[in-house]
Amino acid sequence: MFRAKRSFIITIVLVALCVPSLALAQATTVEFWHSMTGSRLTVLNSVVEQFNAINPNQQISPVLIGTYEEGLTRFMAAYPVNQEPGIVQVYEVGTQAMHDSGMIIPAYQIPERLGEEWDFGQYVAPIVRYYSKDGNLWSWPFASSSAMLYYNADHMRQAGLDPDKPPTTWEEMYDMGVQLIEAGVVTHAMSTGWPDWMFETQLAMHDQEFANMGNGRDGYPTEVSWPNEFTDELMAIWGKMAADNVWIYGGAEYNANGAFNSGEITFLMQSTSSLDGVINTVGDNFEVRTTFLPRLSDEYPRGNVLIGGNSLYVSNRASDQELAVIFEFFKFLSDPEVGTYWHKNTGYFPATNAGMQALMNEGWFTQSPNHLTAFLQILSGKTAGNAASGMRLGPFAQAREWVRDALEKVARGDDQRAALEYSAKQINQLLTDYNEFLD
Amino acid sequence: MNRFPNHRILPYGLILPSLTVIIAFLIIPFGQAVYQSFFRVSPFGRQLRYVGWRNYLEMFQSPEYLSTFQNTLIFAVLVIGVGLTISLVIALLTTQKIRGAAFYQIAFIWTYAMSPIIAGVMWSLIFDPSIGILTHAIADLTGYRINYFTDTVAAFILVTVASVWVMLGYNICFFVAGLQNVPHELKEAAAIDGATGWQTFWVVTFPMLSPTTAFLIFVNTVYAFFQSFGLIDVVTQGGPNRTTEFLIYKIYRDGFGRMQEGQAAAQSVVLFVLVAIVGAFQIYTSTRKSVYNR
Repeated sequence: MFRAKRSFIITIVLVALCVPSLALAQATTVEFWHSMTGSRLTVLNSVVEQFNAINPNQQISPVLIGTYEEGLTRFMAAYPVNQEPGIVQVYEVGTQAMHDSGMIIPAYQIPERLGEEWDFGQYVAPIVRYYSKDGNLWSWPFASSSAMLYYNADHMRQAGLDPDKPPTTWEEMYDMGVQLIEAGVVTHAMSTGWPDWMFETQLAMHDQEFANMGNGRDGYPTEVSWPNEFTDELMAIWGKMAADNVWIYGGAEYNANGAFNSGEITFLMQSTSSLDGVINTVGDNFEVRTTFLPRLSDEYPRGNVLIGGNSLYVSNRASDQELAVIFEFFKFLSDPEVGTYWHKNTGYFPATNAGMQALMNEGWFTQSPNHLTAFLQILSGKTAGNAASGMRLGPFAQAREWVRDALEKVARGDDQRAALEYSAKQINQLLTDYNEFLD
Repeated sequence: MNRFPNHRILPYGLILPSLTVIIAFLIIPFGQAVYQSFFRVSPFGRQLRYVGWRNYLEMFQSPEYLSTFQNTLIFAVLVIGVGLTISLVIALLTTQKIRGAAFYQIAFIWTYAMSPIIAGVMWSLIFDPSIGILTHAIADLTGYRINYFTDTVAAFILVTVASVWVMLGYNICFFVAGLQNVPHELKEAAAIDGATGWQTFWVVTFPMLSPTTAFLIFVNTVYAFFQSFGLIDVVTQGGPNRTTEFLIYKIYRDGFGRMQEGQAAAQSVVLFVLVAIVGAFQIYTSTRKSVYNR
């Protein structure tokens, strides 16, 4: 008994002695704040583990910091007191705010500062355009997504519709929805995740700007470009869908997924990053298919769907030693093998063209055509212009709340023009405040 | 005057730890909030700019803030009024001489052990517009399909009902304890005088219960103004159209989500004043009206 206790103490002492010697190995560890929750957390941690295994002196320490919004707020609060991480993952909404923050080193300057070279042309073009300022990438492409239409092919068959011909326009969506309801297959046909983002995406898909100053890409915007004829037309059909129960408003972010997964609705507009989650949840219950988002009639020009998801920013206080680790980690993330692993397990795009090619070469897309939809959609869209590349707003997150506010009113049957006008007025005030208080 | 003869320093030493904690974590942050409410922070927090009373003036001119204010008051009145009434009725029923009274008491108190987050998730799933079990039941019975993502009234009622439900166990617990402390002789005396059950309750039990009621009103006020936060964050996030964005939730959203720290600070000062007045009024009236002397 006494002897066991003594050997226990000796073990403790020995372990304690080992700890400082481990620290003497001079490993540089960089903290990485991210917001990858759910199944994506495991995937991200395994990517980081693979990197850490390569070189024990260069370590990344991932920290789940909460939602994107919380991550952005915490970074902002941590920087002034020198507590910020080396790398922070920020959603696309935070792009302008991060550019204006004065807290980051632009991505394109990282290789320069280390005296190295890096080819930024290897990243998928729409992603580069979205995160670039004056032609240079300011954040490292990481987990990009776009919205697409998920649908329940079994429902289509039950209603006597052809599952190979999903709706391509909003009119078709309306007609099919009515048919599905009349056939008694569903009580509501369609819902959407991220309603605010869907509104933005519809504007971009029809090459319409969201705000002035070149969609916020040529300067700080002072007002939004809607309501206009285009949004009138879009809201008219969305309002009609809501009135006739085709569209059921499904709340913000991922709330609507449950309705689709349980077969309550036939169509779901949602981010590609939900693909693996949806497929795994639905299993064999029904056939999940995906296609491009519906459009208005062809009288409006073709733009492109918007990039969503997130990218990685680096603190401008990172030392050269830390920056070297960060750069190594970014190079690792850009590796085609890592990119394909990331894509297959999350549904996010691989960021590089080489990653795309690797996926095609191994026949991944014939095996899982649902994973191809988002690529085809974004690569078939317009590749230039401010409207199709995505808007830049300082108070983006707040603007989204107001867009959601208007859509909730439209879904409820309120006056559409008045709803948009009210929200537009609020966003304009936010833009004015942002510009006034800019450093 | 020396209330502690022979102990000049010791009393101060004894209160020093509590005093330090209160100053460091309550007084100083509060002072900072008051200070910050006269400033606006540049979009990325690097610069403070003095704006005088602008945060306050714009707050009271904003229709959003005024409707938030109104909704919060309605919510608080409902949570306190409806919640306490239901709790008292249940507490009265479970203290009757019925079979299994102890079981019912425990069964009702038990829900208080549930975290507000779990309660929130539960209620939001029960009323989920697409997959909610009660949404379906109500739609089958009445043909009306509730969607609390768009229906402002439905969302408000849902949040209120869930909040009342969360506080039910706590309230019942205290009412049951209070009811058991009402002296039996008084009720017997009333019965001998020919009082009906209702009269006995109204003239004897209810006044004897007033210290408990006063305490619960205060606790529920604090709950309605501050602690309902967790539930709202889970169920509605303040929506739809900001109907359930009550004062405390709006402060959080403005300060941490919308990055308007100055405006949020001004709101928190106003909320402090509001709750301080309500609380002081309650404590003042209840200590005067409550029957403490037995």
